[in-house]
Amino acid sequence: MDGYRSRRCRVAGTPGDSNTATFVDSRPALSIRHLLVALFALPALYLDFLAYESGSVWIALGLLIVIGLGIYVYLSDRVEAYRYLFPGLFGFGLFIIFPLVYTVFVSVTRYSSSHLLPYERALSLLEQETFPSGEVSYNYKLFRQDSGSFVLFLEDDKDSSHRFVSEPLDLKPGKESNLSEPPAKLSRLNADTMPPGKALEFAQVVREKLYIPLRGRQFILPDGAVVGAEGLQKCGSRQRLWQMNADGSLTNLRDGSKVRPNFKQGYFVNDKGDQVGVGFQSFSGLENYTQILTDSRIQGPFLRIFIWTVVFSALSVFGGLCIGMFLSVLLEWKDLRFRKVYRTLLILPYAVPSLLSILIFKGLFSQDFGAVNEFLRALHLFTPDWETNPWGARAMILLVNLWLGYPYMMLVCTGMLQSVPSTIYEASALDGSNPVKDFFHLTLPLVFPPLIPILVASFAFNFNNFTLVYLLTGGGPRMIGGGIAGETDLLVTYTFNLAFRDSGTNYGLASAIATLLFCIVGTLAWINLRLSARTIKI
Amino acid sequence: MKPQTKLRLRKTLAHACLISIVVVVLVPFVMVAVASLRKGEFPPSVLWLSPDQLSLEHWKFVLGIPYRELVNAATGETRVIQASPSPVLWLWNSVLVSGCSSLGIILLSGTAAYAFARMRFRFRASLLRTLLILQMFPAVLSLVAYYVILDYIGQHFHFIGLNTIPGLIAIYLAGISVNIWMIKGYFETIPASMEESARIDGASQFQTFVRILLPISAPIFAVVFVLSFIYTMSEYPVASVVLQTTDTWTLAVGANSFLYEQQKLWGRFAALAVLGGLPITVVFLLCQRFVASGISSGAVKE
Repeated sequence: MDGYRSRRCRVAGTPGDSNTATFVDSRPALSIRHLLVALFALPALYLDFLAYESGSVWIALGLLIVIGLGIYVYLSDRVEAYRYLFPGLFGFGLFIIFPLVYTVFVSVTRYSSSHLLPYERALSLLEQETFPSGEVSYNYKLFRQDSGSFVLFLEDDKDSSHRFVSEPLDLKPGKESNLSEPPAKLSRLNADTMPPGKALEFAQVVREKLYIPLRGRQFILPDGAVVGAEGLQKCGSRQRLWQMNADGSLTNLRDGSKVRPNFKQGYFVNDKGDQVGVGFQSFSGLENYTQILTDSRIQGPFLRIFIWTVVFSALSVFGGLCIGMFLSVLLEWKDLRFRKVYRTLLILPYAVPSLLSILIFKGLFSQDFGAVNEFLRALHLFTPDWETNPWGARAMILLVNLWLGYPYMMLVCTGMLQSVPSTIYEASALDGSNPVKDFFHLTLPLVFPPLIPILVASFAFNFNNFTLVYLLTGGGPRMIGGGIAGETDLLVTYTFNLAFRDSGTNYGLASAIATLLFCIVGTLAWINLRLSARTIKI
Repeated sequence: MKPQTKLRLRKTLAHACLISIVVVVLVPFVMVAVASLRKGEFPPSVLWLSPDQLSLEHWKFVLGIPYRELVNAATGETRVIQASPSPVLWLWNSVLVSGCSSLGIILLSGTAAYAFARMRFRFRASLLRTLLILQMFPAVLSLVAYYVILDYIGQHFHFIGLNTIPGLIAIYLAGISVNIWMIKGYFETIPASMEESARIDGASQFQTFVRILLPISAPIFAVVFVLSFIYTMSEYPVASVVLQTTDTWTLAVGANSFLYEQQKLWGRFAALAVLGGLPITVVFLLCQRFVASGISSGAVKE
């Protein structure tokens, strides 16, 4: 059978050569393939058109290139392999490569809670700022609609024929309204008609705290004049505060002062150099990176966390390997009974979703009622503070990670051990060797080299073991004088906290650390590929 | 010492070792099962319960069944408690997310692995390496970008934006490179001669892939499916940022929500953990042989 196959093979030559081309030529001009491509391409092109319509030119252009590539790949016969790769690579590009590029981009910008908006949005906020001009003052009333929204009714307090009503407003009691919202339109109301809905008394407006969302809102009259709430009972006409100048600066119409955007600092400054208004995102060069290296508030915690990350990963890999190797050697002992049962039970920590196990251990290690300390107390042993003592917390994380990690190593080692020919032990048995000697002199030297890539990969995995640390300790206990840093933080949880914990949102700095992290782990992956290149050919 | 007593001693020692480790492995699971049946909110800490401590309240809560709870012991006042939405919904969401994304991952990485294993084209080797190295960028650090992307897509298509299950699945689908390596490794152990003879008989490349290679490769697809299923089932950070309302939560986000800082609802957590963890564990153990062979053939844990 084998001979038959290989003979046919020789006749056929390699697949994908000129033989296939003759098949292609004999196909009809319009095939099912063309129809399928059209089926995907036409809706995609329509989407692209929609994106272009909505003003995102760059995204539309990017999508257009992708669609063009797709059509080329599926219609041309020259890049057949890419037909199989295209869908995967598309998803990979969108959700792996784009986030990576985006992160590197953010790392060279000033982007944090005090520099949150893009420049255009910060500018439009200033544009919407107004001040009371005192020209006209209105009495107002709110009308509640059946849908839960409100309508604002205004009446000029000197001339009651000037009456206006707003479009329905969405007012959340007690919540400040979003300042960047565009002004709501007011339309003229005839003298004898009343707005729809149920009028609210002034006391009701105060009690339901509706004046709070109303305070920041602005309204625009049919003639373009702006009106806003003034105090609790009145609305007054308002005037824009800033006048845009051709050179990009803005003039304050109230006091005549001038501000201009400072793209280096990331905010608007007046003549004295003080900040005016909100900050905006701006290019900062390598500032975030130099901050990591030189700013003592960041450098100190960063170094400590870096060292702990390395130690944690190394100990996790080494410990897991020792336990896993020991167990797999034991379970390879053919004379031992119940081997299958043991193996199944010992794999359990790998089979249970790790998130659940981690949270279970959080309960077991709880300082007050946790099972671990209860057990130690019953034995009259030392009970560590797993949550508040830095060393206790570190020990807990390592113990839990060993528990979680050894089954994987056991599976890998078992696979390796089974590939070792049993004949090599026969010779040494004649020499009167013992199992321990056999293991260190015969088995380990054979098994270890192919294990190296797996160990490096496992190191990289633990280097970024976010879920474990985040759910078990949250990085705590806090590092004294380290700001947001915790004693058990890994670089990846530290970065996450920098970016997302409410107190110090700093996307720029977090992205810079993320980029460094990627460089470290990427290098590890590269080394790993070089190491495994000997055993695995690409 | 006689060789036979020596051997027996060794065996006893081995059993003692293995049993003590098995105990360390099993005790936490038993404790969780017990905690889910214990009255009140206690962290998993005991191995048995007296009958008066026994209660099904946590199971009723997790399954969304209404039950009465004593509010005031003196007056005997009670109130009815029913979870809304029922935590079973989270389990269903998780199964949906993990099932769809694992199927999608098989589809995407299977086709890509075929091209890498059976075809020769430009950039093949460098593309393979690049995929693996770029995947090393931890998903946690891409969260800001994921947020931006899904927010943008959601402005046009609500069903795939932020706070949607398809949006989360789309992100998980990108985690293919490790699986590509794994499947490619398996494909390469299968001799190409059968496909080549099919080509001579007039089958197209795609036909040989679907009709010949895929059926033989079922075991590796089972491995990839199980591993990605477990991985996505446990994935917390991305899910917690993408899914914002309780009706879209997955098991991971929901289970952790019971354990917030001020009030740790251990009983409810335990019941949910048993409910969600048990089926996955059983499926994993059933596929154990496949998974073990897949892992030891040079796979990398995600």
